[in-house]
Amino acid sequence: MRQARTYSGILSGGISGRTGPHLLPLARIKKIMKKSGDDVKMISGEAPIVFSKACELFIEELTQRSWMVTMRGKRRTLNKEDVTSAVIATDIFDFLLNLVSDTGNSVEAAPLEMDISKSS
Amino acid sequence: MVDEPDRLLPIANVGRIMKQILPPSAKISKEAKQTMQDCATEFISFVTGEASDKCHKENRKTVNGDDICWALGALGLDNYAEAIVRYLHKYREAEREKASSRNKATCRSSPEKDEKSSEDKSGQPPQQTEAPTARLAS
Repeated sequence: MRQARTYSGILSGGISGRTGPHLLPLARIKKIMKKSGDDVKMISGEAPIVFSKACELFIEELTQRSWMVTMRGKRRTLNKEDVTSAVIATDIFDFLLNLVSDTGNSVEAAPLEMDISKSS
Repeated sequence: MVDEPDRLLPIANVGRIMKQILPPSAKISKEAKQTMQDCATEFISFVTGEASDKCHKENRKTVNGDDICWALGALGLDNYAEAIVRYLHKYREAEREKASSRNKATCRSSPEKDEKSSEDKSGQPPQQTEAPTARLAS
């Protein structure tokens, strides 16, 4: 059940960090972390909470960059190829190249403008 | 791609985050959400791997929030690292306040499970999870 204050309530204090409303399920995050390698044995309680926020930032950035590709194509529906283009065009997302190219896409990697702002 | 849904972040949550950053009139294809699911999941694995390597080299068993912050910086994701350092700081403050107000309220009369784990360095993060034996740090 989502409370009135969203996750951002943590920044103004007074919200339960552990069981408060996070945008991503902590148990699932923990599971993914455990699966990432044999070395990962123990995970502190705060780690999934930190990742919940980090993933949110990641998804937001990749979504914004993908949307810029969508707009350049004068479309209103963000599709898979837009995400792939954004990944290819962003250096720090190089770790995703194998993942998105596995989907069998061949999209041109046009350089994107760096103006990330919510525009309608 | 979604053979084992458990191994990915839930598509509903991912879609919600995408939606909230886009203009209201924007639409998102299902495949785009699935791709984002994959990417976000890979993000977690990638960063965790780096954090875990560091712990291993330093002979520590538990990956904590600081390790994740470090890994984000090490992998070139400096913007995230800065934001997460701030977030972690606020979170730990909130946890401390919660613990101290509980101590005052109950005068330690009711034994709280797992909430009093202490770790000097980082100001009492919550209890370690994933312990094979339920380990209460004192």
